Amino acid sequence: MNIKGIKDNFRDFWGEFSKVKYGMVGLVLFFIFLLIVVLEPILIPFPEAGKRWRDITYWEDNPKNAAPAWTNWFTTKKLTPQSILDDPEIKEKKAANTQVLEAVFKYDYFYDVPPIDLILRATGKGLINMVIELERPDGLTLEVTKKSIKLSSEAPIRVSLDKEGTSMVGEFLKSYEDPVILQGISMSTVKPVEVFFVQAQNRLLDNPVPLKGEYRIKLTSVAVGSNSFLKEPEITVAGRVFGLMGTDASKRDIWSGVIAGTKWALLIGLLTSAVAVVIGVFYGVTSAYFGGTVDQVMMRLYEIFQSIPLLPVMIVVSAVFKPSIWTMILMMCSFFWVSSVRTVRSMGLQIKEETYVEAAHALGASNRRIIFKHMVPQLIPYAFASMALQVPVSIVYEASISLIGLGDATIVTWGQILHDAMQGGAVLQGIWWWIVPPGLFIAIMGMTFAFLGFAMDTILNPKLKTR
Amino acid sequence: MYWKYVVRRIVSVIFTYIVIVFIYSALFNTVMETTIRSQIDEMVKQEMLVKTHVMSPEELKKFQRERLEFQYKKYHLDEPSLSRIFWRSISTLKFDFGNSTIIKSANGDRKVLTIVGEKIPRTVLLFTLATFIDILLGVILGVKKAQKPGKFLDQSTSIITMIVYGMPTWWVAMIFIMLFVYKLAIFPSGGLHSIPPPEGFKYFLDLLYHLALPVLTLIVIGFWGRAYLTRNIVLSTLQEDYIMSARARGLPERKVLYGHTLRSAAPPIATMSILSLLFSVGGGLIFEGIFSWPGMGNLYWVAIQQNDIPVLMGNLAITTIFYLSGLVLLDLIYGLLDPRIKVGGKA
Repeated sequence: MNIKGIKDNFRDFWGEFSKVKYGMVGLVLFFIFLLIVVLEPILIPFPEAGKRWRDITYWEDNPKNAAPAWTNWFTTKKLTPQSILDDPEIKEKKAANTQVLEAVFKYDYFYDVPPIDLILRATGKGLINMVIELERPDGLTLEVTKKSIKLSSEAPIRVSLDKEGTSMVGEFLKSYEDPVILQGISMSTVKPVEVFFVQAQNRLLDNPVPLKGEYRIKLTSVAVGSNSFLKEPEITVAGRVFGLMGTDASKRDIWSGVIAGTKWALLIGLLTSAVAVVIGVFYGVTSAYFGGTVDQVMMRLYEIFQSIPLLPVMIVVSAVFKPSIWTMILMMCSFFWVSSVRTVRSMGLQIKEETYVEAAHALGASNRRIIFKHMVPQLIPYAFASMALQVPVSIVYEASISLIGLGDATIVTWGQILHDAMQGGAVLQGIWWWIVPPGLFIAIMGMTFAFLGFAMDTILNPKLKTR
Repeated sequence: MYWKYVVRRIVSVIFTYIVIVFIYSALFNTVMETTIRSQIDEMVKQEMLVKTHVMSPEELKKFQRERLEFQYKKYHLDEPSLSRIFWRSISTLKFDFGNSTIIKSANGDRKVLTIVGEKIPRTVLLFTLATFIDILLGVILGVKKAQKPGKFLDQSTSIITMIVYGMPTWWVAMIFIMLFVYKLAIFPSGGLHSIPPPEGFKYFLDLLYHLALPVLTLIVIGFWGRAYLTRNIVLSTLQEDYIMSARARGLPERKVLYGHTLRSAAPPIATMSILSLLFSVGGGLIFEGIFSWPGMGNLYWVAIQQNDIPVLMGNLAITTIFYLSGLVLLDLIYGLLDPRIKVGGKA
């Protein structure tokens, strides 16, 4: 079969395939997944999510176990979502040996439940004196903290206004709260940020009324010394609801994790199934073509491979050797090829009897030529169908092993997110946004390839055509 | 000559099992030996503790050396690695999996065989029950689908088959537990029975109550695929010539379907049912862990968490036996149903 023949075959195949609706849906979904992989850096708010998934410092500004932000649409009490204020009005003055920087952050607050924390981040060097003030919509100005930092080299600065604001809030409460109530509570139970966003009136602690409007957070920093400076200040509003899919118990953004896991799922699925099916096709065809002793020996070996329960073996191997993702793919390849051998062999036995194979023989074609040029091309459509159906199997295998906690710890996969969810008690606490998205992605990817595979299968099996 | 076929099949599966055990032994030899050595050291230390007051320090040292040597000899640890692997395989083939390091059986026994043994009936109960219902529903739906292929029922259920194709059953289990156990509180959260277990007939009801959600989950995800396969098998049988002739003879459609078609479609349907049971045992490893169903699958979770290597190995060997017996059973049933196989023709 020459190139043109393959081309014609493909065109015929495409003509039939494009008529199968779910096949086309599968194809579209497949391209969407490819697009997700390509656009990953744009799609996720935490670009290093894949690399630093287990690095707790990377996630420390996020809230813990926060629900997705869109859950606000369905509740009467609106929770503050996570946001970053990175566009302050900056006034900078430089004099000899001092840099004075004034940054004003505007924040529109119109929620019912205040954020968990306000975190100031900046980069600085040398001796820096900072004053942070909060101007509230009701005209009150609170001096949250005065802080002095000394850094010997350029380093990141992180100030939590919730931690720093304790003494100021004490003063604030003394002037507004009922002294009887104030005596009854311990100051350590008061969260300063919660006081920032409530109306200044009596009983504000046990009956808080949110104060909505525009807040202005003013940072004044004076860097003393010839090389001292402070730059790029920004404030993270650590919310109670977070992004598209919320966060987990380790403050990680689940959306970022799920998107970063897509490429691994695709890689595991496609690579494993492609290698496995190619091996299986050649194995089956060779066995069928040579027949006799070769066939018997090859079938014997095939039976042994087929008799090994793969998932338990893989679990034990992973528990003992702690393999990387590549070793795992290799292991799956070396077992999954059996799934296509039997069908390929019986198809090969039929093709072998065709007259053109006989003709090729008579013309003196080598065995290799007959297998590669005349027999294998006939099996290409079948190979693609079984590849597509093998993809979800590989993905579920990897996910299963990761779920037990034996996955490759250097990457993030959907199965690993689900493992963390199990460990973190997500099922018990009903943290559905931790469990549903990764599993749903596994399911949708499985569905995608099932659509493709079943569509090809229907075309290849004329007997199954509906009357 | 059915019995000849049976004997040949059983001999070949025993041979396969021996080969697999050798592969396991070679693969896991190092880690097993480390575990056994530390177990022996522990044991000898215990023995020495008893003798501390009776013996002088020199005698004690000598005693320790002798005991260690004796034990190493007993487990063939003093021989070259190839022969060690051989002896490990032999003891595995004799069902001698040694003692666990941490896990104990219900009555405190530390023999791996006992530990795994008490899990087997639970796994068998859960999966045979689920697969039985699963196949029943699957075959009924599959035949209905094949009767009117391409119509609404057929198409919609086929789409569902594809949707659940790559859906991990254990994920659905997690969702169901979250929903039905913790949110709606209809089912128990897991385990075999309530604590303390009730007596008599109530025990049976309690067991069913605990079985309900796992079985339901397995069926909800499982039977679509079964239905689809049944449909395909029935549909391709329906296009045989003898079906056409049966129809031409004016036999009622019901008779054609149940008398002629299902009869010849039975072997492949039986095959796929048992195959699916086997695969569900594989997938059940994960599934049992989610429901803390104390079967063989859950034992893998526990053994991995406790790092109990002997239990892991013993469990793997017994799982393999189950898997292999399933494959043999499959062939034997197939041979019984399909007369062409018996003579030794090509399958």
